[in-house]
Amino acid sequence: MHLQYTSEQDAFRAEVRAWMEAHVPKEPLVTLECREGYDQHVEWERTLASGNWGMVTWPEAYGGRGLDLIQWLIFEEEYFRAGGPNRANQNGIFLLGPTIMEFGTDEQKKRFLTPMAKGEVIWAQAWSEPGAGSDMAAISSKAVRDGDHYVITGQKTWSSRAAFADWGFGMFRTDPESKRHKGLTFILFDLNTPGITRRPIRQLHGDTGFAELFFDEVRVPVENCLAGEGEGWNVAMATAGFERGLMLRSPGRFQATAKRLVDLYRKHEAEASPAAREAVMQAWMSAQAYAYNTYAVAAKIMAGGKIGAEASLNKIFWSELDRSMHRTAMQLLGAHAELKRFDDGSVNQWLEGYIFSLSGPIYAGSNEVQRNITAERMLGLPRVGAG
Amino acid sequence: MDMLLTEDQLALAETVRDYLAGTHGPEVLRRLDADGNRDPAIWQGLVDMGLTGLLVPEAQGGLGMGLVDAALIAAECGRACLAEPLVDTAFVGVPWLLARGKTDQLSDVAAGRITLPLAHSINPWVADGDGAALTSVDPLRNLCASANDNADPHLLNLGALMSAAQMVGLADAMLHLAVEYAKIRTQFGQPIGAFQAIKHQLATCAVAIEFAKPVVWQAAQALQDGRASTAVHVSHAKVAATDAAMLTAETAIQVHGAMGYTYEVDLHFWMKRSWALAGAWGSRAFHLKRIDDAVLGGTLAIGPEHTFA
Repeated sequence: MHLQYTSEQDAFRAEVRAWMEAHVPKEPLVTLECREGYDQHVEWERTLASGNWGMVTWPEAYGGRGLDLIQWLIFEEEYFRAGGPNRANQNGIFLLGPTIMEFGTDEQKKRFLTPMAKGEVIWAQAWSEPGAGSDMAAISSKAVRDGDHYVITGQKTWSSRAAFADWGFGMFRTDPESKRHKGLTFILFDLNTPGITRRPIRQLHGDTGFAELFFDEVRVPVENCLAGEGEGWNVAMATAGFERGLMLRSPGRFQATAKRLVDLYRKHEAEASPAAREAVMQAWMSAQAYAYNTYAVAAKIMAGGKIGAEASLNKIFWSELDRSMHRTAMQLLGAHAELKRFDDGSVNQWLEGYIFSLSGPIYAGSNEVQRNITAERMLGLPRVGAG
Repeated sequence: MDMLLTEDQLALAETVRDYLAGTHGPEVLRRLDADGNRDPAIWQGLVDMGLTGLLVPEAQGGLGMGLVDAALIAAECGRACLAEPLVDTAFVGVPWLLARGKTDQLSDVAAGRITLPLAHSINPWVADGDGAALTSVDPLRNLCASANDNADPHLLNLGALMSAAQMVGLADAMLHLAVEYAKIRTQFGQPIGAFQAIKHQLATCAVAIEFAKPVVWQAAQALQDGRASTAVHVSHAKVAATDAAMLTAETAIQVHGAMGYTYEVDLHFWMKRSWALAGAWGSRAFHLKRIDDAVLGGTLAIGPEHTFA
């Protein structure tokens, strides 16, 4: 264990800081979950790409910088220090991109990765169906082979970014006789293909971040299938691993929130309870703990290790931390907490953040599912129903 | 920048873990509980492994290792619920003497000839000393009264850090006991560990322990490096490890049901050690105050770019 940055790492941090200070929008962007805000966020993706900061961990061959995980952590720390916007391209950077790198053909890599890195194509995920949420193996949307095409019929839901994105990816049942994990195929599709209807879903806060997707005999070329027919489950498990694992939520995000919470506490100190003061300490402690753990996991991966059930522990920890920090902020704000805009006209980011934090323990595999995975795969407890 | 525990460090910890698992099981705790708490043969075994000299410089007959190594071994002592005063003497006392330039006793410590009872004004007692006996809830603590005015902050940091390290080992052990019990105890026709109500509680303990450990190792490195912010990191470690151990103790007894409330089931030794260490070397309030002074008081730089401030 050696807890000093090298001079190269310090220089890299300075480079990121200078670029972020020069480019991060001074005013917060409109929420990603409406047309205007989405367009602003896509513009930001293109600005990032112009500085080659879009996909920093990707190999240079695909438009990235080939950074190691410590450099990625430094990048993320500086990104959140500067107040960088949410990433419209999240699904591409951390979910689909690494999956195509692992499972895609050379042709697919060339076709999809570079436009993704440049922010030219924004991707939506299409995992869940009305009858397949936590139980993803219950997928029933069909893709029937017809010559050089699949003909897709069915419905996806809670599809993040799908209201406005360009392309989507998800799993479809290509073997009508199959059950559960078998007979599923991972398919990429242009969201503007005839037969696809997007119905934006109005979320808790009133905006439309995700959408339902209806597929009515949608023809998708066979070359859009990733890793071969019937291999969908294995591909999706790898994708879910990337998502839940290290990279979906970097520590910088929560350390920035903890710091803002400390500032908020100072402003409201006169009327704050001792419990709120302790909760603020806890926020700093937990955000730091998350950072130390991420640095440790990063070091383990760089030394050739892999992450398994730790991915589930991670997801439980950050999602519950985020909710608890925003809950504390709402308590500190008192009567101001309910205001969507404060007296000075500024957006109540704590309210928006609190509402968003309630989705954390639900998306990317609910925390109940993560606790089952932890108990069964890490602690070795028997599966439900085992006698 | 590298937070990796090296293969050598992990291998050493594993060696100690295996040794203690083989020689210091629950039956030993029961024997010590019945006949006087300390056993020269156990102490000699620790000496023979070189553990009393772990932090003693090679010139004085020790291994000259660092506080991260010691914290990893302290966690193993917690896992085994070790009663001998190894952690106090070798991992708290030795580095404190070294920091003060006092090396004359170190070869005796390394050779296991003496132990170092450590009096500090934050504790109303001293373990393994010679004052009037005090009775702890932990049947294997040898406490006696101690009135003194030694308020040395470095000694306190060493004591608090090594308590925290023991606590993550204690928590690991209690989680393990509860998991093993949940696998074999059958009700309603299945092991109780198949019920999600049990699984989710135990998974929550696993999360708390997993995220306390790097806080402890990080604090050990900060103390080793003499970082200016060491106090806040040690306090963070003490709070995180204590919270993880207390949560796991309460969960483990719940999972054991009525059996957990008996003296017959082993769990109580680990629970009681956790309760004892929770308030030792600074209460939760004491450590929260130090964190408060740093984080709200503004003496520590906070935010994403200050992870290792």
